[in-house]
Amino acid sequence: MTARTHQYGPGTSIIAINRRKQMDPGHKLTVMRSITDEDIVLLLGHRAPGASFKTMHPPLSEQQEPDCPMRFLVKPTEGAKHGDRVRYVQFADSMFNAPCQPYQRTYAEMYRFRAIDPGTLSGRQIVECRERDLEQYCRLLIETEMFDPALVSLRGATVHGHSLRLSEDGMQFDALQRCVLGKDGMVRYVKDQIGLPLNRQVEVGKPLDQKWLREHSTIFHCLVGTALRDDAEYVEYLQRIHTLRTRYGFMPKEA
Amino acid sequence: MQETVTYPQCRIVPMRLLSPDTTKRLLEKIVRVPAIRRILLNGQNIPLTVPYGPARGTENKTNLRKTIEIAGNTVDLHVLVGTITLEIEDKTVIEQIRAICDDFFVDFPCSVQEGRFMKSQPSLVDYAKYGPQADPSVIGLVDPKRKEKPSFIHPLGDRVCGGCEL
Repeated sequence: MTARTHQYGPGTSIIAINRRKQMDPGHKLTVMRSITDEDIVLLLGHRAPGASFKTMHPPLSEQQEPDCPMRFLVKPTEGAKHGDRVRYVQFADSMFNAPCQPYQRTYAEMYRFRAIDPGTLSGRQIVECRERDLEQYCRLLIETEMFDPALVSLRGATVHGHSLRLSEDGMQFDALQRCVLGKDGMVRYVKDQIGLPLNRQVEVGKPLDQKWLREHSTIFHCLVGTALRDDAEYVEYLQRIHTLRTRYGFMPKEA
Repeated sequence: MQETVTYPQCRIVPMRLLSPDTTKRLLEKIVRVPAIRRILLNGQNIPLTVPYGPARGTENKTNLRKTIEIAGNTVDLHVLVGTITLEIEDKTVIEQIRAICDDFFVDFPCSVQEGRFMKSQPSLVDYAKYGPQADPSVIGLVDPKRKEKPSFIHPLGDRVCGGCEL
C-alpha cells in the first residue's frame, strides 16, 4: 500500500501552486520579515505588553477533568492548558495580488494551526483562539510570505478596503489609516487593529514589489494578475462542483 | 412640469485613490477651465471618529481628511477621492480636461469618460429635504441627509464661497 498523498487543491497555475504551498503544513513558508513579541501584542491590542494573560478558567492541571477518552486523545494547546481567554485577529487582503485571501487563509490556518475558530467573509477573515496561541499564530501570519505590509492589514473593525483601488502610494485603503508608508519605504502601524493609537510605531517592513506579488499571489485577477480562465484544471474542478451541487444538493452522488 | 436643460458631463477616473494634496493640485488646474458648471467629488468616506468596534467614538487621527484650498476657496474634503465628475456647458471642454489629466497623471493611468453621472432629477429624499422648489444646481451634489453644503468655487476669487444657504 502506497503512502497517502495529500491533495490540497486543484489547478496548474501559479496561483493554485501558491495556494497548495500555504495549505501544506509540511511546506516551510519563507520568512520575509521579523517582528518582536511586544510588537505583536501592540498590534493585537488585547493586553498591555508585559501584562499577564487573563484567564477564563483555572489551568487544566488544577482542575479535575471528567473521564473522557477524547481528552486523552486530543492534547490541549498551551493557551487551553493555562485557561487563557479567547481573543481574535482579523486580516483584510486587497484583491490587487495580495499574497493571501480570506478563504485561503481559513484553509491554510485549519491545516497549520490547532484549536482555532475562523470566520470567513468576502473581504476579511477573523480567527479566534486562546490568547497565547493567537500570538504565536500571528507571528507566522505576519512574518511569512502570507503577509504584505501594503496589501494585507490587521483590521479588527472598520475593514472596508479590500476591493477598492489602492491609494496613490500603493497601500490598501483604510479609513482609519492604521498603517502608514514612511518616506524611507517602511510601513509602520500607528494604531492597533481596532484603531486605537499606539504609544510607539510598529514597523512591519517594506511593501513587496509587483513582480514578487504576481508570483506569490493566491488570488485570481484577470486584470492585474493570473486569470482564473487560464487555469483549465481549476475551471473544470469548479464546474464539476457546481454541477454536482446543482443536481444533488449537498449529497453529490452521481447517478 | 419644469423643463430642465441637460448639460454634458464627464468623469475623471484615476487608477489610484487620490490623496487630498493630489486632489488639490488637480482641481487647481481643472477649475481654471472655463465652462465648468459643477464638480462632484466621489470617494471613500474618512470618518471623524472610529465608527465600529471597541474603539467606537474615539477620534480618528488621520491625514487623509483635510481642508484644502482651491483657487483661494476652502473645501472640506471628507473623502479619499476616487472619481471627479464634471458638468460642463460645452462638450469641447472634455478634450481640455483630458489633456490636463494626461499631463497630470504620470505615475498611474487615468481615464476620462463621457456620459451622465450626476442625479438628473430630485429623488424623494431630495423632495423631503428641499421641497418642490429645489435649486436644480444642488441636486446630486451632496447627500440630502448630510448637514454639509456644497462649496462654491470661483477661480477668479471675486465671489463669496464656502457653502450656500439651502
